[in-house]
Amino acid sequence: MKARLRFDKEKTSEPIIASVILRTKAPINILRAQVDEGTGEVLIEVPDDKAESTISAFKQMGVDVHVGRFIELLREKCIDCGHCITVCPVDAISAQSDLTVEIDQNKCVDCGACVDACPTRAIKLSE
Amino acid sequence: MKNIRTVDQINEKISKGTINVVTAEEMTEIVKSNGIEVAAKDVDIVTTGTFGAMCSSGLFLNFGHADPPIKMDHVNLNGVEAYHGNAAVDVYLGVTKMHPERNFDYGGGHVIEDLVAGKEIELDATAYGTDCYPRKSVKTTFTLQDVNQAILCNPRNAYQRYNAATNGRDDVIYTYMGKLLPNYSNVSYSGAGELNPLTNDPDYETIGVGTRIFLGGGIGYVTGHGTQHDPTNKFGTIMVQGDLKQMDPKFLRGATYTNYGTSLYVGLGIPIPILNEDLAKKTSISDEEIKTNLLDYGIPRRGRPSLKETDYAELKSGKLKLKEREIPAQPLSSLKIAREVASTLKKWIDDGKFLLASPTQRLSVTEVCRPMKITKEAVFVQNIMIPTVTCNIDEDTETVARRIIEKNVNHVVVVDDGGILKGIVTSFDITKAVAKKEEKLSNVVTRQVVTASPEEPIDSCVRKLKKHDISALPVVDSEKKILGIVTSEQISRLLGE
Repeated sequence: MKARLRFDKEKTSEPIIASVILRTKAPINILRAQVDEGTGEVLIEVPDDKAESTISAFKQMGVDVHVGRFIELLREKCIDCGHCITVCPVDAISAQSDLTVEIDQNKCVDCGACVDACPTRAIKLSE
Repeated sequence: MKNIRTVDQINEKISKGTINVVTAEEMTEIVKSNGIEVAAKDVDIVTTGTFGAMCSSGLFLNFGHADPPIKMDHVNLNGVEAYHGNAAVDVYLGVTKMHPERNFDYGGGHVIEDLVAGKEIELDATAYGTDCYPRKSVKTTFTLQDVNQAILCNPRNAYQRYNAATNGRDDVIYTYMGKLLPNYSNVSYSGAGELNPLTNDPDYETIGVGTRIFLGGGIGYVTGHGTQHDPTNKFGTIMVQGDLKQMDPKFLRGATYTNYGTSLYVGLGIPIPILNEDLAKKTSISDEEIKTNLLDYGIPRRGRPSLKETDYAELKSGKLKLKEREIPAQPLSSLKIAREVASTLKKWIDDGKFLLASPTQRLSVTEVCRPMKITKEAVFVQNIMIPTVTCNIDEDTETVARRIIEKNVNHVVVVDDGGILKGIVTSFDITKAVAKKEEKLSNVVTRQVVTASPEEPIDSCVRKLKKHDISALPVVDSEKKILGIVTSEQISRLLGE
């Protein structure tokens, strides 16, 4: 399972992820991290059996946790050209044998590189 | 070549329901397994199809007269400006015209898509008022059914073949060939290869003025050869028109190219009558036989050097080999919808709903496509670059500071013994270093240097300076050997001349 963590100003300097790993023993994989002035956002992946305990541990430490689908392919807008396939850094997008384009949610790291490449604006990064 | 059937005989078979029509992809297979002679005897018609962004597209609209009447002077449709330099209530909406606020997200192509989808469009027009047309403004809404005529008219469609694109620069570029990643990391191309209309009739024997075609899900016509038609280089184009009221939003879609512009995806299919064995052979063309060049769109010039010759079989495989690397390659046009165009046209013919039309005139086979005539030459880097002051990475900051004063420059380029670019320091970097008593040049040097090439236009340098917020570009050759420098001071001086 993937989750997006949002840290506020005070929390960015604390070793929160390390603390959660120690507490839950969950092998957390950091897929993407971005820290701006004041806030931080980290996309993590945890095994499904540790998902519940990990999320509650982060929430207890005052971190905003968002789970669910982040990248969405709008079927009615997509023309299946395949341009997005070439800009994906993790090969999460592929064309099926009938040329239908699909995004593999398990591989996607929510980076958004495909969003501005799509000529019909058929890919949405939902908040 | 002796003809084995005529268009009239073909139409008779369509009406009787005894026609044999196949798509161009199927024809390639049929000829491969049965040979040309048998294929020519069996197959009456080959349907082709393409679904690509066609930027020359546009729409003529006639709204009918208001009461009191108006001679429209400025016209916006859903906020997108339409061309109004024709009769009082006629306009032409170009697909690349963008909405002033929504920019790349909404343009003329999207207005056309919305119209075909049956959506209501806002019309906002103003006028100066005349004795016969006194009205000075009109604001209303309309749908496709409310206008008298809506004629899709595309002066340049269905390129015979097109270049494939990649990017050799060290940053992402956004082009009409899509988003191109740095350092040759992806390839985009256009066209449906063996399914492409003009590719199957490369000498325009059956496609000419008056040919009836599939256009945007409706029926359209070829009205002549298109703009930039270049038959001697096998870069032919056609001009087409069709009634938008018959069309289907599935085959006409607004397009957005981030940081480039808007366009319209157009589904276009042409039936090719197999009048003789020669046409059977031509329509059996396979992706392997359709060659095109891979060009570096990172070079901002008209003439881009070809990195390699490729073919549509390699492109459609999804991977393209370039210098020992395999690069992901995908089209910007949709092969899936191109197939739907060819199979829909095939079904129309099978169902007896679509008859072939013989051209009244052939397309030009001698026309030449010339570049723009320029009366004042543009300025390139090599015209204004100056020698650069250099230093070695082992020199200390004080020595470099002295050199900056002595040579009266703001930029010193760091090179190795072979003159290869290794970094750059500005007078500001050196001032800061001296003030902080930092002696080591290696601690203050910028190693990621944005550079220019001698053949690059100055306009492109200005974009780089602005994008990276820097004040100079070292000029290097392909081996990164330093040739000179272009600074913002020199460029400002050009403006003063």
